[in-house]
Amino acid sequence: MLQKVIAFKNTKCECGHQNPVGTVLCESCGKPLDEEEQNSKEVLEMRYDGMARRSQRANPNIIDRIWNFFASVKIAVYMIILTLLGSMLGTIFPQENTFLNIDPSTYYKETYGTWGLIYYKLGLTHTYESWWFILLLVMIGASLVICSLDRVLPLYRALSKQQILKHMQFLTRQRVVYQGKIEGDAEEWVKQAAVPMKKKGYRVHTDGNALLAEKYRFSRWGPYVIHIGLIIFLLAVLARGLPGLKMDQHIAFPEGEIKHIPNTSYYLKNEKFTVEFYSEEDMPEEFRNQGKVLPKLFNTKATLYHCTADCDDPTKEPKLEAVARHDIQVNDPLDYKGLKAYQFDYDLTPVLRSVSPSLVDAKTGKELGKFKLDIKNPQRNYTAGDYSLELKEKYNDFGLDENGRPVTKTPNPNAPAFLFLIKGPNLPASGMQYIYFPKQIDKERFQQDAINEKMNGGTPPLMLDVKGMENVDFSMSTTYLNIRVDKVMPFIWVGAAIVMIGLVLGFYWQHRRIWLRIDDGVLTLGAHTNKNWFGIRREISAILKKMNLDVDEKSLDNGGKHA
Amino acid sequence: MNDLLSISSNMFVVAFFLYCAAFILFAVALMGRRWSNRDPVAHSKKWGKIAFIGSALGFIFHLIFFVTRWIGGGHIPVSNMYEFMSFLSMMVMFAFTVVYLIYRKTLLGLFAVPISIIIMAYAAVFPQEVQPLIPSLQSYWLKIHVTLAAAGESFFAIGFAAGFMYLIRTVDFKSKDKKAKRQQRWVEVVFFSVILVISFIATVFIFRAAGYESVFTQTKVTGQPGAEQTVTQTVSYKLPPIVGPYQSKVVSYEPFLGMTKPLFNAPSWMNGVNAGRKFNTIIWSFITGIILYAVLRLIARKPLGRAASPMMEGIDPDDLDEISYRAIAIGFPVFTLGALIFAMIWAEIAWGTFWSWDPKEVWALICWLFYSAYLHLRLSRGWQGGKSAWLSVIGFLVVMFTLVGVNLVIAGLHSYAGVD
Amino acid sequence: MGNSKKKLMQIVILLLIVIVGGYAIVTQVSGSGGKPTEGSKAPGFQLLGLDGKTHTLDEYKGKAIVLNFWGTWCEPCVKEMPALQAQWEKWKDQGVVVVGINAGEDKMAVENFVNNVNVDFPVLLDPDKDSIASYGISPLPTTFFVSKSGRINKIHLGQLDLATLDKQIEELVKS
Repeated sequence: MLQKVIAFKNTKCECGHQNPVGTVLCESCGKPLDEEEQNSKEVLEMRYDGMARRSQRANPNIIDRIWNFFASVKIAVYMIILTLLGSMLGTIFPQENTFLNIDPSTYYKETYGTWGLIYYKLGLTHTYESWWFILLLVMIGASLVICSLDRVLPLYRALSKQQILKHMQFLTRQRVVYQGKIEGDAEEWVKQAAVPMKKKGYRVHTDGNALLAEKYRFSRWGPYVIHIGLIIFLLAVLARGLPGLKMDQHIAFPEGEIKHIPNTSYYLKNEKFTVEFYSEEDMPEEFRNQGKVLPKLFNTKATLYHCTADCDDPTKEPKLEAVARHDIQVNDPLDYKGLKAYQFDYDLTPVLRSVSPSLVDAKTGKELGKFKLDIKNPQRNYTAGDYSLELKEKYNDFGLDENGRPVTKTPNPNAPAFLFLIKGPNLPASGMQYIYFPKQIDKERFQQDAINEKMNGGTPPLMLDVKGMENVDFSMSTTYLNIRVDKVMPFIWVGAAIVMIGLVLGFYWQHRRIWLRIDDGVLTLGAHTNKNWFGIRREISAILKKMNLDVDEKSLDNGGKHA
Repeated sequence: MNDLLSISSNMFVVAFFLYCAAFILFAVALMGRRWSNRDPVAHSKKWGKIAFIGSALGFIFHLIFFVTRWIGGGHIPVSNMYEFMSFLSMMVMFAFTVVYLIYRKTLLGLFAVPISIIIMAYAAVFPQEVQPLIPSLQSYWLKIHVTLAAAGESFFAIGFAAGFMYLIRTVDFKSKDKKAKRQQRWVEVVFFSVILVISFIATVFIFRAAGYESVFTQTKVTGQPGAEQTVTQTVSYKLPPIVGPYQSKVVSYEPFLGMTKPLFNAPSWMNGVNAGRKFNTIIWSFITGIILYAVLRLIARKPLGRAASPMMEGIDPDDLDEISYRAIAIGFPVFTLGALIFAMIWAEIAWGTFWSWDPKEVWALICWLFYSAYLHLRLSRGWQGGKSAWLSVIGFLVVMFTLVGVNLVIAGLHSYAGVD
Repeated sequence: MGNSKKKLMQIVILLLIVIVGGYAIVTQVSGSGGKPTEGSKAPGFQLLGLDGKTHTLDEYKGKAIVLNFWGTWCEPCVKEMPALQAQWEKWKDQGVVVVGINAGEDKMAVENFVNNVNVDFPVLLDPDKDSIASYGISPLPTTFFVSKSGRINKIHLGQLDLATLDKQIEELVKS
C-alpha cells in the first residue's frame, strides 16, 4: 500500500489542493487520490481521515525505518502478544520474590523436579525482572510514544480544517450512505435539516447546498489520552528503580519498645499489639468441626517519632518528637509524609524485658536487697543491701560450645543468663561467682544450682530469686511491620487516572460526522463514526424521519468493514 | 443460618430455574419460527419478548439473593468462590440486559443466558456457607475491585456469546475446503469445552447427591537426608477414585461399578496431596463429557455446529459482529478500572505494593493485553467478522482461566477458601 | 514545521527512548534491590565504637578498609577473628584498616568477647542494625573489601581464612 502511494507521484488533487506524500484521501475534498482507488466502488478506508502519517514518506533512511518500525500498529500488536506470552511463562511456577528466604538454585529443583530446574536455568524464576521482559516493556513504551506522535498531529490537522463540501465519491463510498430525491429549495432543505441535528447535539456547518454535522470529536483523542497515561505510568514504574525513591524493609517491633527505622530519622513504638480471632459462633459449621481458627483483626497501636536532635550521634540519646499515632491494621497502614507502615506479621511469644531479682540468704531465706536487671544492655554494677554485684558475663541464648565453655547460641534472648561476681559481708574477698537464669525453665534445663555449687565448691550462701510476678517485665508480643517509602506512587496514580479518562472518552462516546450535499434535487448523505455504526444509523434514520424521509436503519448500511 | 440467609439461598434456586425457563423460551423463539401456520418474524418477536421478561425476572430474584445475603452475612457476598461465581453470573445477566437495551436483539439470550446458568451452577459446586472475612479481605476497595472486575468480565462474556453466534452463523458447515473444515473443527471444540464444564458440574452434583466418599492417606518424606520429616495427609474424594494420590494408601473405598481400588496412582510430578484428587476430577469430567457429547451427536446425527447453524438463519451477521465488539468495548474500560486500577489501589493499601506479579494479577494483565490487542487489530488492522469473533471466543477462555484456572492450577495471594 | 526540524525531533525522541530504555534494562538486570554490589560506592555509617567514640566511614578515607560484619554468637565469625587480627597487625602500617561491625548485640557482650579473643582492631556497635540494613547483610559473617577511593572491591560471604584474606588485602592495596 505504502509503495503504491509513493509510486503515485502526483499528490495534487483535482480540487487544486496539494497533499503530502502518503495521503490517501484528499485533505480538502476527500476524493481518493490513487487512480485505482478512484475506479473502485469499495467503502473508503477512513482511518486518520485518509491523511498521510508522519512515518509515510518517500526514500526512508535508517532513522525513518526505526521510526516506522515503532509507528506500526502491527509491530505494536506483536509486542503486546509477546509480552502476554512472556507474562504467562512467569506464572508457571512461583517467582523467586514470592519467598523471603530461599536459595533458588536448589529450591526449584527440590520442589518441582527437573522442570523446576529447567525453569530456573531459563531465568524464568525472575521473568518480570529479566532483560527481555523489560526490553519488551520499553519497546511498548517507545511504540506508544511514536505511534501517538505519528498519528495525532495529522489527525489533528485533518479534523481542524474540514471542508464542508466533499467530493461525491467521498460521500457515496462512506459506510453509511443515503441517496434520494427531495422536494423544494435545496438551501432551505439544508437549513431545516440542521435543526434536528442540532437537537441531537451535532455542531452543524452549512455551505450553500452542503452540510457538515459533527459531534463528540473529543472521542477521537481518547486513544492518545490512553497512550499518554500509559507512558506516564511506565515512566513512573521505571523511576522506581532510581536510588532513594523507594524503601522497603520488614522490621520487628516488640511491644513497648521505641525502635529506630534504619536509614531514616524516624522511630516507631509499638504501644500495643492485638490479635482477635473469630468466635465459634461466627464460624461456619464446616470450619467449626475442623478446629480452624480464623483471625479477625490484627492491630498495632503505633506511635511514630521524628528525631529532632542528636540523631546521628550514637554517643547521645536522640531527641524524639511524636509526629503520628495510628492503629495499623491490615488494610489500614500508617502513613506519614510518604512513610508507610503496613501490618505484616506478628509473634505472640512473650519476650522478657527485665527482672527485679532479690538477693536472698540461702539458709534463712531472708531478703537482703533487690535490684533491676535489664535483659538488653544491662548495667555493669548493682547493689543489693550491703552487697555489690558486678555483672561479668551475659548470654542471650545460653549454651555450651564443643569445649564445654558457655556461649550464646543466637542473638535472641531466648535463654538469657547472667554471671555475677558478688562481694560483701561474709563472702570471700575475691567475691562469689553466681550464674543467674531469669527464666524458671532455663534454671532447670541448665541446672543453675549445680553450676553455682560447682563454681563455689559447695552450696553458695546467697542466691538470686524473683519474688512475685510484679518483678518481671515482659513484652507480650512482637509485631512485624513492613516499612515502605515509594515516592513515585503519585505518578503511578496520575498515569492510571489519565488512562481511565482516555478509555471513557474513547469508548463511551463516538465521533460522528454527517456530510450531505444536494445536487439537482438529489440528496446525497454520507456518515462516518469511529465506533457504533448501529447507533449512527439509528440517529440518521431519526433525523431523516424529521425531514419526512422514511428510511430503514438497515438500508443505510453500505457494507464494508465495521470498525 | 439466619432467616435472611435461608431466604437468600431460596432466591438463588428460583433465579436459577427462571434462567433455565428463559433459555427454553429463547429456544422456542428461535426454533419455533419454522413451525407451521405462523409468521416467523412475529413469532420470534413475541416469544423473544416473553423469554426476555423471564430472564429479567430471574435477574430480579438473583438481585434479591445478592442483597439478602449481603445483609444476612454482614458483608458483600463476593469473598469466596461460591459468592464470586454467583455474582459473576448475575453480572452476565446484567450485561446481557444492557446490550439488549441497546440493540434489542433478544436472540442473543439464547447464548448469553446459558453462560449465566453454567456459571451459576458452577458456583453451587463450592461450599455455600457465609465465611467470616480474614483481615486482608476487610477492605471496601477489595469489594469495588471484585465487583467491577466481574462487571467488565461479564461484558466479555456477552462478547463471547455474540462472537460465537457469529461463527455459527457464518462458518460454512457444508463446505469441504480446508479453511472451512478447520473452522468447523474449532467450533466443535468450543462446543465440547462447554459440554465439558457442564458434565463436570453434573458429575459433582450426582455423586454429591449420592453421598459418595473415599479416603486416602499420603505419607510424604521431606527435608535433607539425615533430617527427614514425614508428613501424613488425608484426602477425601467425592468422586470415585480412578486415580489415587501419589504414593497413597486407601483408608476407605466405596465400591463403584465393581472398582474397589483406584486403577492407578498419580505420577510423581503430581505429588501434592490434592493434585491426585484434582486429576481424578478432570478424568471424570472428560469421561462424562465425552458421553454427553456422544449422546448429543447421536441425537443431532451431525456435528453440533452444523446442527446449530440453521437456528441462526435470518440473523444479520453484521449485527452479531457489532454486538460482540460493542460488548467488549463497553467492558474494556470497566475491566481496566476494576481488575487493574482498583486492584492496584487495594494492593497498595493491603500489601504495600501496587503490583507484585502475583499469578492472578499477571493473568488479569494478560486478559487486558489480549483485549487491547483485539481492539488494536480491529480498529487499526481491520480484523472484523470471523477473525474478530474468534478472538472474542479465545479472549473469554483467557478470562475464565484467570477466574477459575489460576485458582485451581496456580496458587497465590488470591487463593480463596473452599476452592475445589 | 520544516523537514529538518522534523528529522531532528525524530532523532531526539529516538535517543531519549534509547537512553531511558537502556537505563531501565541495565538497572533492572544488574539491580540488587538497592543493596550495594561489587564496584559500587560503600554506604556511609556513623556508629559508636567500643572506645566510646563515634566512628564514620569518612574518617578512614584514603585507607583500604576491610569491613567485617559479625556477631559473638556466630561460630564462623568467631573462628575468623584470629585471621582478621593477624592481618590487621600485618597490614595496619601500610594504609589498611580492619573494622569489625557487630550486628546489634549489647556493648557488654561485645566488650567481653573482644577482651577474650584479644582483638584490638576497631570494633563498632550497631544496635539498631542501621549499617546492616544499608549494606544489605543477610548471612554473617560478611566482609566488604573497600578500596581507598571508597568503592567496594569485593564482597565475601562466610568465613575467611588467613590465606584468602591476605590475597584479598593485597589486591585491595594494589587497586
